[in-house]
Amino acid sequence: MAAVATSAYSSCIPANFLHSPLKITNQISSPPPLYISTNPSHVNPSHLQHLYALCNHSCHRFPKLDSDGRVELIDVSKLRTALSNSSVVVSVFTKPELANDLSSTAEVGTRSMGIGGNWIQRVMPVTPDNGKLVGFGRAVSDLGLTASIYDVMVIPSLQGRGIGRRIVQRIIRMLTGKGVYDISALCSEKEGLFFKACGFGEDILGSTTMMYTGTSSCPDAHQTAIYAGRKLLLSPPSRQ
Amino acid sequence: MKIGNVLSPPPASLRAAAAAAAHCRYPYGPWPHHPILAVSHNHITAFMQQQQLPARHDKMENRLPLSPHHILHAGCRNAKVSRLKAAFWESIRSGFMKNNTIQVTESPSTIQEEEEMLPDEFVLVEKTLPDGVVEQIVYSSGGDVDVYDLQALCDKVGWPRRPLSKLAAALRNSYTVAALHSIRKSAGEEGSADKKLIGMARATSDHAFNATIWDVLVDPSYQGQGLGKALIEKLIRTLLQRDIGNITLFADSQVVEFYENLGFEADPEGIKGMFWYPRY
Repeated sequence: MAAVATSAYSSCIPANFLHSPLKITNQISSPPPLYISTNPSHVNPSHLQHLYALCNHSCHRFPKLDSDGRVELIDVSKLRTALSNSSVVVSVFTKPELANDLSSTAEVGTRSMGIGGNWIQRVMPVTPDNGKLVGFGRAVSDLGLTASIYDVMVIPSLQGRGIGRRIVQRIIRMLTGKGVYDISALCSEKEGLFFKACGFGEDILGSTTMMYTGTSSCPDAHQTAIYAGRKLLLSPPSRQ
Repeated sequence: MKIGNVLSPPPASLRAAAAAAAHCRYPYGPWPHHPILAVSHNHITAFMQQQQLPARHDKMENRLPLSPHHILHAGCRNAKVSRLKAAFWESIRSGFMKNNTIQVTESPSTIQEEEEMLPDEFVLVEKTLPDGVVEQIVYSSGGDVDVYDLQALCDKVGWPRRPLSKLAAALRNSYTVAALHSIRKSAGEEGSADKKLIGMARATSDHAFNATIWDVLVDPSYQGQGLGKALIEKLIRTLLQRDIGNITLFADSQVVEFYENLGFEADPEGIKGMFWYPRY
Protein backbone atom coordinates (compact mmCIF):
# COMPACT_ATOMS: atom_id res chain seq x y z
CA MET A 1 0.00 0.00 0.00
CA ALA A 2 1.35 3.43 -0.87
CA ALA A 3 1.89 4.70 2.62
CA VAL A 4 3.07 8.24 2.19
CA ALA A 5 2.33 9.26 -1.38
CA THR A 6 -1.13 10.50 -2.05
CA SER A 7 -0.98 9.59 -5.72
CA ALA A 8 -1.73 5.90 -6.02
CA TYR A 9 -0.39 5.08 -9.43
CA SER A 10 -1.12 1.45 -10.08
CA SER A 11 1.21 -0.94 -11.84
CA CYS A 12 -1.10 -1.44 -14.80
CA ILE A 13 0.83 0.87 -17.07
CA PRO A 14 3.57 -1.54 -18.25
CA ALA A 15 1.00 -4.25 -18.98
CA ASN A 16 -1.20 -1.91 -21.03
CA PHE A 17 1.81 -0.60 -22.82
CA LEU A 18 2.55 -4.05 -24.24
CA HIS A 19 -0.87 -4.47 -25.83
CA SER A 20 -1.85 -2.53 -28.92
CA PRO A 21 -3.64 0.70 -28.08
CA LEU A 22 -6.71 -0.35 -30.08
CA LYS A 23 -7.45 -3.23 -27.71
CA ILE A 24 -9.67 -1.38 -25.23
CA THR A 25 -12.47 -3.49 -23.85
CA ASN A 26 -15.69 -2.30 -22.27
CA GLN A 27 -14.81 -3.76 -18.91
CA ILE A 28 -11.71 -2.14 -17.40
CA SER A 29 -10.16 -5.11 -15.58
CA SER A 30 -7.06 -3.46 -14.09
CA PRO A 31 -7.50 -0.85 -11.31
CA PRO A 32 -7.66 2.72 -12.57
CA PRO A 33 -4.91 5.14 -11.54
CA LEU A 34 -6.25 7.30 -8.73
CA TYR A 35 -5.28 10.54 -7.04
CA ILE A 36 -6.62 10.72 -3.50
CA SER A 37 -6.54 14.23 -2.12
CA THR A 38 -7.24 15.56 1.35
CA ASN A 39 -6.96 19.16 0.27
CA PRO A 40 -10.41 20.81 0.25
CA SER A 41 -9.34 23.35 -2.37
CA HIS A 42 -9.02 20.54 -4.93
CA VAL A 43 -12.77 20.10 -4.90
CA ASN A 44 -14.74 22.11 -7.40
CA PRO A 45 -18.22 22.62 -5.87
CA SER A 46 -20.07 22.34 -9.17
CA HIS A 47 -18.22 19.14 -10.08
CA LEU A 48 -19.11 17.86 -6.62
CA GLN A 49 -22.75 18.78 -7.20
CA HIS A 50 -22.60 16.70 -10.38
CA LEU A 51 -21.02 13.80 -8.48
CA TYR A 52 -23.84 13.87 -5.92
CA ALA A 53 -26.30 13.64 -8.80
CA LEU A 54 -24.41 10.78 -10.49
CA CYS A 55 -24.36 8.81 -7.26
CA ASN A 56 -27.97 9.73 -6.52
CA HIS A 57 -26.88 10.90 -3.07
CA SER A 58 -28.69 13.54 -1.10
CA CYS A 59 -27.52 15.68 1.78
CA HIS A 60 -30.88 15.21 3.43
CA ARG A 61 -31.29 11.94 5.28
CA PHE A 62 -34.88 11.68 4.09
CA PRO A 63 -34.69 12.98 0.55
CA LYS A 64 -37.57 13.73 -1.71
CA LEU A 65 -37.52 11.30 -4.62
CA ASP A 66 -39.01 12.04 -8.02
CA SER A 67 -40.85 9.46 -10.14
CA ASP A 68 -37.54 7.88 -11.26
CA GLY A 69 -36.33 7.54 -7.68
CA ARG A 70 -33.73 10.26 -8.18
CA VAL A 71 -32.93 12.91 -5.59
CA GLU A 72 -33.14 16.59 -6.33
CA LEU A 73 -30.05 18.59 -7.25
CA ILE A 74 -28.14 19.86 -4.26
CA ASP A 75 -27.73 23.57 -3.55
CA VAL A 76 -24.21 24.58 -4.62
CA SER A 77 -23.83 27.47 -2.19
CA LYS A 78 -24.91 25.28 0.72
CA LEU A 79 -22.48 22.66 -0.50
CA ARG A 80 -19.71 25.23 -0.49
CA THR A 81 -20.56 26.16 3.10
CA ALA A 82 -20.62 22.52 4.12
CA LEU A 83 -17.23 21.94 2.50
CA SER A 84 -15.55 24.88 4.19
CA ASN A 85 -16.86 23.73 7.56
CA SER A 86 -15.89 20.11 7.25
CA SER A 87 -12.78 19.16 9.17
CA VAL A 88 -11.76 16.49 6.67
CA VAL A 89 -12.48 16.50 2.95
CA VAL A 90 -11.31 13.57 0.81
CA SER A 91 -11.66 13.60 -2.96
CA VAL A 92 -10.68 10.95 -5.49
CA PHE A 93 -9.73 11.72 -9.07
CA THR A 94 -9.00 9.51 -12.02
CA LYS A 95 -8.33 9.90 -15.73
CA PRO A 96 -11.40 11.28 -17.52
CA GLU A 97 -11.50 8.48 -20.09
CA LEU A 98 -11.64 5.82 -17.38
CA ALA A 99 -14.39 7.53 -15.43
CA ASN A 100 -17.08 7.44 -18.06
CA ASP A 101 -20.31 5.66 -17.39
CA LEU A 102 -20.93 2.42 -19.27
CA SER A 103 -23.23 4.23 -21.71
CA SER A 104 -20.43 6.25 -23.25
CA THR A 105 -17.68 3.66 -23.76
CA ALA A 106 -17.72 4.42 -27.47
CA GLU A 107 -15.75 7.55 -26.65
CA VAL A 108 -12.95 5.47 -25.17
CA GLY A 109 -12.32 3.62 -28.43
CA THR A 110 -11.86 6.78 -30.45
CA ARG A 111 -9.12 8.04 -28.19
CA SER A 112 -6.47 5.85 -29.78
CA MET A 113 -4.75 7.98 -32.37
CA GLY A 114 -2.16 5.49 -33.53
CA ILE A 115 0.78 3.67 -31.93
CA GLY A 116 2.40 6.64 -30.25
CA GLY A 117 -0.55 9.03 -29.86
CA ASN A 118 -2.06 7.47 -26.77
CA TRP A 119 1.29 7.11 -25.00
CA ILE A 120 1.40 10.61 -23.51
CA GLN A 121 -2.08 10.29 -22.03
CA ARG A 122 -1.26 6.94 -20.50
CA VAL A 123 1.91 7.96 -18.70
CA MET A 124 0.70 11.38 -17.51
CA PRO A 125 -0.05 11.09 -13.83
CA VAL A 126 -3.52 11.95 -12.61
CA THR A 127 -3.82 15.29 -10.82
CA PRO A 128 -6.89 17.10 -9.50
CA ASP A 129 -6.56 19.54 -12.39
CA ASN A 130 -6.54 17.05 -15.24
CA GLY A 131 -8.55 14.32 -13.52
CA LYS A 132 -12.24 13.79 -13.08
CA LEU A 133 -13.82 13.70 -9.63
CA VAL A 134 -15.09 10.20 -9.04
CA GLY A 135 -15.12 9.78 -5.27
CA PHE A 136 -15.72 11.88 -2.20
CA GLY A 137 -16.09 11.75 1.55
CA ARG A 138 -16.06 14.26 4.35
CA ALA A 139 -16.16 14.44 8.13
CA VAL A 140 -17.21 17.08 10.63
CA SER A 141 -15.36 17.12 13.91
CA ASP A 142 -14.81 19.23 16.99
CA LEU A 143 -11.12 18.27 16.69
CA GLY A 144 -11.05 17.22 20.29
CA LEU A 145 -13.43 14.45 21.18
CA THR A 146 -15.77 13.37 18.38
CA ALA A 147 -16.27 13.25 14.63
CA SER A 148 -19.02 12.30 12.18
CA ILE A 149 -18.49 11.03 8.65
CA TYR A 150 -20.88 12.16 5.92
CA ASP A 151 -21.50 11.76 2.23
CA VAL A 152 -19.09 9.01 1.22
CA MET A 153 -19.67 8.25 -2.45
CA VAL A 154 -18.08 6.74 -5.57
CA ILE A 155 -19.50 6.90 -9.08
CA PRO A 156 -21.50 3.79 -9.96
CA SER A 157 -19.13 2.59 -12.71
CA LEU A 158 -16.20 2.45 -10.29
CA GLN A 159 -18.02 1.01 -7.30
CA GLY A 160 -17.11 -2.29 -5.76
CA ARG A 161 -13.37 -1.82 -6.17
CA GLY A 162 -12.45 -0.71 -2.69
CA ILE A 163 -12.29 3.00 -3.52
CA GLY A 164 -14.97 3.85 -0.97
CA ARG A 165 -13.10 1.92 1.67
CA ARG A 166 -9.92 3.81 0.88
CA ILE A 167 -11.79 7.09 1.26
CA VAL A 168 -13.04 6.05 4.70
CA GLN A 169 -9.61 4.83 5.73
CA ARG A 170 -8.09 8.14 4.70
CA ILE A 171 -10.69 10.07 6.69
CA ILE A 172 -10.02 7.91 9.74
CA ARG A 173 -6.29 8.43 9.38
CA MET A 174 -6.74 12.20 9.23
CA LEU A 175 -8.93 12.18 12.31
CA THR A 176 -6.80 9.88 14.43
CA GLY A 177 -3.82 11.98 13.43
CA LYS A 178 -5.57 14.86 15.18
CA GLY A 179 -6.27 12.74 18.22
CA VAL A 180 -9.95 12.07 17.53
CA TYR A 181 -10.90 8.44 18.00
CA ASP A 182 -14.65 8.60 18.55
CA ILE A 183 -15.79 8.52 14.92
CA SER A 184 -19.43 8.05 14.01
CA ALA A 185 -21.27 7.54 10.74
CA LEU A 186 -25.00 7.72 10.18
CA CYS A 187 -26.08 4.84 7.94
CA SER A 188 -29.09 3.39 6.24
CA GLU A 189 -29.13 -0.41 6.01
CA LYS A 190 -27.13 -0.54 2.78
CA GLU A 191 -24.61 2.03 3.97
CA GLY A 192 -24.34 0.08 7.21
CA LEU A 193 -22.99 -2.95 5.36
CA PHE A 194 -20.40 -0.76 3.68
CA PHE A 195 -19.26 0.82 6.94
CA LYS A 196 -19.17 -2.55 8.64
CA ALA A 197 -16.67 -3.65 6.01
CA CYS A 198 -14.66 -0.53 6.80
CA GLY A 199 -14.36 -1.48 10.44
CA PHE A 200 -17.40 0.21 11.98
CA GLY A 201 -19.83 -1.41 14.32
CA GLU A 202 -22.59 -0.72 16.80
CA ASP A 203 -21.76 1.62 19.63
CA ILE A 204 -19.90 -0.12 22.44
CA LEU A 205 -21.62 2.24 24.86
CA GLY A 206 -24.97 0.98 23.61
CA SER A 207 -26.39 4.39 22.73
CA THR A 208 -29.51 4.88 20.64
CA THR A 209 -29.30 6.92 17.47
CA MET A 210 -31.99 9.57 17.42
CA MET A 211 -32.86 12.18 14.84
CA TYR A 212 -35.10 15.19 15.11
CA THR A 213 -38.26 14.56 13.15
CA GLY A 214 -40.27 17.33 14.73
CA THR A 215 -43.21 15.21 15.77
CA SER A 216 -43.86 17.29 18.83
CA SER A 217 -46.61 16.32 21.23
CA CYS A 218 -48.01 19.83 21.60
CA PRO A 219 -48.59 21.58 18.28
CA ASP A 220 -48.40 25.32 18.37
CA ALA A 221 -50.09 27.68 15.93
CA HIS A 222 -47.06 29.96 15.72
CA GLN A 223 -44.49 27.24 15.12
CA THR A 224 -42.04 27.70 12.28
CA ALA A 225 -41.14 24.77 10.09
CA ILE A 226 -38.48 23.88 7.54
CA TYR A 227 -38.32 21.20 4.91
CA ALA A 228 -35.42 18.79 5.12
CA GLY A 229 -35.89 16.60 2.07
CA ARG A 230 -39.36 15.18 2.43
CA LYS A 231 -39.60 15.68 6.17
CA LEU A 232 -41.28 18.77 7.53
CA LEU A 233 -39.52 19.67 10.74
CA LEU A 234 -41.54 21.68 13.22
CA SER A 235 -39.61 24.03 15.43
CA PRO A 236 -40.20 23.52 19.17
CA PRO A 237 -42.57 26.11 20.67
CA SER A 238 -40.89 29.05 22.34
CA ARG A 239 -42.10 29.56 25.85
CA GLN A 240 -41.76 32.58 28.12
CA MET B 1 1.34 -1.18 17.16
CA LYS B 2 0.27 -4.55 18.46
CA ILE B 3 -2.40 -4.12 21.08
CA GLY B 4 -4.79 -6.98 21.42
CA ASN B 5 -7.31 -5.72 23.86
CA VAL B 6 -9.94 -3.25 22.73
CA LEU B 7 -11.57 -0.50 24.71
CA SER B 8 -13.17 -0.84 28.09
CA PRO B 9 -16.51 0.93 28.46
CA PRO B 10 -17.12 2.99 31.59
CA PRO B 11 -18.38 0.95 34.55
CA ALA B 12 -22.11 0.64 35.05
CA SER B 13 -21.98 2.65 38.28
CA LEU B 14 -20.93 5.76 36.35
CA ARG B 15 -23.87 5.46 33.99
CA ALA B 16 -26.37 5.00 36.81
CA ALA B 17 -25.14 8.17 38.48
CA ALA B 18 -25.72 10.09 35.28
CA ALA B 19 -29.47 9.44 35.69
CA ALA B 20 -31.36 12.22 33.96
CA ALA B 21 -28.30 14.04 32.78
CA ALA B 22 -28.56 12.88 29.15
CA HIS B 23 -25.55 11.50 27.37
CA CYS B 24 -21.82 11.69 27.31
CA ARG B 25 -19.45 10.08 24.90
CA TYR B 26 -16.10 8.85 26.07
CA PRO B 27 -15.76 5.23 25.05
CA TYR B 28 -12.17 4.89 26.17
CA GLY B 29 -12.53 4.81 29.92
CA PRO B 30 -10.93 7.43 32.15
CA TRP B 31 -8.09 9.63 30.95
CA PRO B 32 -5.75 8.93 29.24
CA HIS B 33 -7.81 7.70 26.34
CA HIS B 34 -5.35 5.14 25.08
CA PRO B 35 -6.67 1.60 25.76
CA ILE B 36 -3.35 0.14 26.80
CA LEU B 37 -2.93 2.76 29.48
CA ALA B 38 -6.45 2.72 30.91
CA VAL B 39 -5.07 0.27 33.45
CA SER B 40 -2.09 2.39 34.47
CA HIS B 41 -4.31 5.46 34.80
CA ASN B 42 -6.45 3.71 37.39
CA HIS B 43 -3.33 3.24 39.45
CA ILE B 44 -2.51 6.90 39.10
CA THR B 45 -5.97 8.13 40.15
CA ALA B 46 -6.04 5.73 43.08
CA PHE B 47 -2.68 7.03 44.20
CA MET B 48 -3.75 10.65 43.75
CA GLN B 49 -6.94 10.16 45.71
CA GLN B 50 -5.02 8.63 48.53
CA GLN B 51 -2.65 11.53 48.73
CA GLN B 52 -5.02 14.47 48.29
CA LEU B 53 -7.96 15.89 50.21
CA PRO B 54 -11.12 16.33 48.11
CA ALA B 55 -10.90 20.11 48.44
CA ARG B 56 -7.59 20.19 46.65
CA HIS B 57 -8.66 17.81 43.95
CA ASP B 58 -9.04 20.53 41.34
CA LYS B 59 -5.61 21.97 41.95
CA MET B 60 -3.97 18.58 41.60
CA GLU B 61 -5.73 18.01 38.30
CA ASN B 62 -4.19 21.23 37.07
CA ARG B 63 -0.75 20.02 37.91
CA LEU B 64 -1.14 16.77 36.06
CA PRO B 65 0.28 17.08 32.59
CA LEU B 66 -2.54 17.85 30.19
CA SER B 67 -0.95 16.16 27.23
CA PRO B 68 -1.59 12.41 27.15
CA HIS B 69 1.70 11.96 25.35
CA HIS B 70 3.57 12.37 28.60
CA ILE B 71 2.06 9.30 30.24
CA LEU B 72 1.70 7.49 26.92
CA HIS B 73 5.41 7.15 26.47
CA ALA B 74 6.53 6.96 30.05
CA GLY B 75 8.54 3.80 30.43
CA CYS B 76 8.70 3.22 26.67
CA ARG B 77 11.91 3.29 24.75
CA ASN B 78 12.47 6.35 22.55
CA ALA B 79 9.96 8.26 24.63
CA LYS B 80 11.40 11.63 23.88
CA VAL B 81 11.83 10.94 20.18
CA SER B 82 8.24 9.75 19.80
CA ARG B 83 6.94 12.80 21.60
CA LEU B 84 8.96 15.13 19.42
CA LYS B 85 7.88 13.28 16.30
CA ALA B 86 4.24 13.50 17.31
CA ALA B 87 4.51 17.21 18.03
CA PHE B 88 6.31 17.76 14.73
CA TRP B 89 3.65 16.01 12.65
CA GLU B 90 0.91 17.66 14.67
CA SER B 91 2.26 21.10 13.82
CA ILE B 92 2.59 20.21 10.16
CA ARG B 93 -0.92 18.83 9.98
CA SER B 94 -2.48 21.74 11.84
CA GLY B 95 -0.60 24.21 9.66
CA PHE B 96 -1.75 22.35 6.57
CA MET B 97 -5.38 22.35 7.68
CA LYS B 98 -5.27 26.04 8.56
CA ASN B 99 -3.96 26.92 5.11
CA ASN B 100 -6.70 24.95 3.45
CA THR B 101 -9.44 26.71 5.36
CA ILE B 102 -8.10 30.06 4.27
CA GLN B 103 -8.15 29.00 0.64
CA VAL B 104 -11.69 27.74 0.62
CA THR B 105 -13.60 30.34 2.65
CA GLU B 106 -15.13 33.18 0.65
CA SER B 107 -15.54 36.63 2.20
CA PRO B 108 -19.23 37.25 1.47
CA SER B 109 -20.38 34.10 3.21
CA THR B 110 -18.16 34.78 6.22
CA ILE B 111 -19.69 38.22 6.70
CA GLN B 112 -23.15 36.77 6.47
CA GLU B 113 -22.27 34.11 9.00
CA GLU B 114 -20.94 36.67 11.45
CA GLU B 115 -24.22 38.55 11.27
CA GLU B 116 -26.20 35.42 11.97
CA MET B 117 -23.94 34.11 14.69
CA LEU B 118 -24.72 36.89 17.18
CA PRO B 119 -24.88 35.04 20.47
CA ASP B 120 -28.15 34.73 22.28
CA GLU B 121 -28.47 35.52 25.91
CA PHE B 122 -31.61 35.79 27.97
CA VAL B 123 -33.02 35.00 31.38
CA LEU B 124 -34.95 31.76 31.53
CA VAL B 125 -36.10 31.76 35.12
CA GLU B 126 -35.91 34.29 37.89
CA LYS B 127 -36.89 33.67 41.46
CA THR B 128 -36.30 35.02 44.92
CA LEU B 129 -34.95 32.59 47.48
CA PRO B 130 -36.18 32.62 51.09
CA ASP B 131 -33.06 34.47 52.29
CA GLY B 132 -33.71 37.40 49.95
CA VAL B 133 -31.19 36.34 47.33
CA VAL B 134 -32.40 36.71 43.76
CA GLU B 135 -31.44 33.84 41.50
CA GLN B 136 -31.53 34.11 37.72
CA ILE B 137 -30.98 31.26 35.37
CA VAL B 138 -29.47 32.67 32.22
CA TYR B 139 -29.26 30.92 28.87
CA SER B 140 -26.34 31.92 26.67
CA SER B 141 -25.09 30.56 23.38
CA GLY B 142 -21.97 32.66 23.21
CA GLY B 143 -19.80 29.76 24.17
CA ASP B 144 -18.52 31.43 27.34
CA VAL B 145 -18.02 28.16 29.15
CA ASP B 146 -15.00 27.85 31.36
CA VAL B 147 -13.46 24.44 30.77
CA TYR B 148 -12.66 23.95 34.47
CA ASP B 149 -16.28 24.73 35.42
CA LEU B 150 -17.38 22.24 32.80
CA GLN B 151 -15.05 19.58 34.14
CA ALA B 152 -16.44 20.14 37.64
CA LEU B 153 -19.99 19.88 36.32
CA CYS B 154 -19.16 16.65 34.50
CA ASP B 155 -17.80 15.27 37.77
CA LYS B 156 -21.04 16.22 39.51
CA VAL B 157 -23.18 14.25 37.09
CA GLY B 158 -20.77 11.35 37.28
CA TRP B 159 -19.27 11.32 33.81
CA PRO B 160 -15.85 9.83 33.09
CA ARG B 161 -12.99 12.27 33.14
CA ARG B 162 -11.76 13.55 29.80
CA PRO B 163 -8.52 15.41 29.09
CA LEU B 164 -8.95 19.14 29.61
CA SER B 165 -7.12 20.02 26.40
CA LYS B 166 -9.53 17.89 24.39
CA LEU B 167 -12.53 19.39 26.17
CA ALA B 168 -11.26 22.89 25.43
CA ALA B 169 -10.65 22.04 21.77
CA ALA B 170 -14.10 20.46 21.49
CA LEU B 171 -15.78 23.58 22.91
CA ARG B 172 -13.77 25.84 20.65
CA ASN B 173 -14.65 23.95 17.49
CA SER B 174 -18.32 23.30 18.19
CA TYR B 175 -20.87 25.13 16.10
CA THR B 176 -22.98 26.07 19.11
CA VAL B 177 -22.24 25.82 22.79
CA ALA B 178 -25.35 26.58 24.80
CA ALA B 179 -24.87 27.11 28.51
CA LEU B 180 -27.04 27.70 31.54
CA HIS B 181 -25.61 29.80 34.33
CA SER B 182 -27.14 30.51 37.70
CA ILE B 183 -26.53 34.08 38.83
CA ARG B 184 -27.21 34.88 42.46
CA LYS B 185 -27.40 38.46 43.65
CA SER B 186 -28.02 39.42 47.25
CA ALA B 187 -30.89 41.87 47.54
CA GLY B 188 -29.61 45.46 47.76
CA GLU B 189 -25.97 44.58 47.11
CA GLU B 190 -24.72 46.01 43.85
CA GLY B 191 -21.89 44.52 41.85
CA SER B 192 -21.24 41.22 43.54
CA ALA B 193 -22.92 38.30 41.84
CA ASP B 194 -22.31 34.60 42.13
CA LYS B 195 -22.17 32.99 38.68
CA LYS B 196 -22.21 29.22 38.41
CA LEU B 197 -22.39 26.90 35.42
CA ILE B 198 -25.36 24.58 35.86
CA GLY B 199 -26.01 23.20 32.39
CA MET B 200 -24.59 22.84 28.92
CA ALA B 201 -25.29 21.38 25.51
CA ARG B 202 -23.15 21.60 22.42
CA ALA B 203 -23.57 20.75 18.77
CA THR B 204 -21.11 20.25 15.95
CA SER B 205 -22.23 21.05 12.44
CA ASP B 206 -21.12 21.70 8.91
CA HIS B 207 -23.27 24.85 9.03
CA ALA B 208 -25.38 23.67 6.12
CA PHE B 209 -26.98 20.25 6.36
CA ASN B 210 -25.96 18.21 9.38
CA ALA B 211 -25.65 18.78 13.09
CA THR B 212 -24.92 16.39 15.94
CA ILE B 213 -25.71 17.21 19.54
CA TRP B 214 -23.17 16.02 22.10
CA ASP B 215 -22.64 16.42 25.82
CA VAL B 216 -25.98 17.48 27.24
CA LEU B 217 -25.86 17.90 31.00
CA VAL B 218 -27.66 19.70 33.81
CA ASP B 219 -26.49 20.02 37.41
CA PRO B 220 -28.30 17.35 39.46
CA SER B 221 -29.54 19.89 41.99
CA TYR B 222 -31.25 21.83 39.18
CA GLN B 223 -32.74 18.87 37.36
CA GLY B 224 -36.43 18.22 37.09
CA GLN B 225 -37.30 21.87 36.39
CA GLY B 226 -37.46 21.65 32.62
CA LEU B 227 -34.07 23.30 32.17
CA GLY B 228 -32.67 20.48 30.03
CA LYS B 229 -35.76 20.63 27.89
CA ALA B 230 -35.36 24.38 27.41
CA LEU B 231 -31.69 23.92 26.51
CA ILE B 232 -32.40 21.39 23.79
CA GLU B 233 -35.43 23.21 22.42
CA LYS B 234 -33.50 26.43 22.05
CA LEU B 235 -30.64 24.56 20.41
CA ILE B 236 -32.98 22.93 17.92
CA ARG B 237 -34.64 26.24 17.16
CA THR B 238 -31.24 27.78 16.45
CA LEU B 239 -30.30 24.95 14.12
CA LEU B 240 -33.60 24.96 12.25
CA GLN B 241 -33.35 28.70 11.81
CA ARG B 242 -30.11 28.11 9.91
CA ASP B 243 -31.91 25.54 7.74
CA ILE B 244 -29.91 22.66 9.18
CA GLY B 245 -32.24 19.72 8.77
CA ASN B 246 -30.32 16.63 9.92
CA ILE B 247 -30.11 16.91 13.70
CA THR B 248 -28.74 13.78 15.31
CA LEU B 249 -27.73 12.64 18.74
CA PHE B 250 -26.67 9.40 20.43
CA ALA B 251 -28.63 8.89 23.60
CA ASP B 252 -28.03 6.63 26.57
CA SER B 253 -30.84 4.20 27.22
CA GLN B 254 -32.20 6.10 30.22
CA VAL B 255 -32.66 9.35 28.34
CA VAL B 256 -34.22 8.05 25.13
CA GLU B 257 -37.67 8.91 26.47
CA PHE B 258 -36.54 12.43 27.36
CA TYR B 259 -35.56 13.07 23.76
CA GLU B 260 -38.62 11.36 22.35
CA ASN B 261 -40.72 13.89 24.21
CA LEU B 262 -38.73 16.65 22.56
CA GLY B 263 -39.46 15.46 19.03
CA PHE B 264 -36.63 13.02 18.41
CA GLU B 265 -37.19 9.61 16.90
CA ALA B 266 -35.03 6.56 17.57
CA ASP B 267 -33.59 4.85 14.48
CA PRO B 268 -35.89 6.67 12.04
CA GLU B 269 -36.51 4.53 8.95
CA GLY B 270 -33.82 2.14 10.01
CA ILE B 271 -31.05 4.72 10.11
CA LYS B 272 -28.42 3.72 12.64
CA GLY B 273 -25.27 5.30 13.93
CA MET B 274 -22.13 3.24 13.62
CA PHE B 275 -18.82 3.83 15.31
CA TRP B 276 -15.26 3.09 14.39
CA TYR B 277 -13.65 0.15 16.13
CA PRO B 278 -9.90 0.69 16.20
CA ARG B 279 -8.15 -2.53 15.29
CA TYR B 280 -4.44 -2.66 15.79
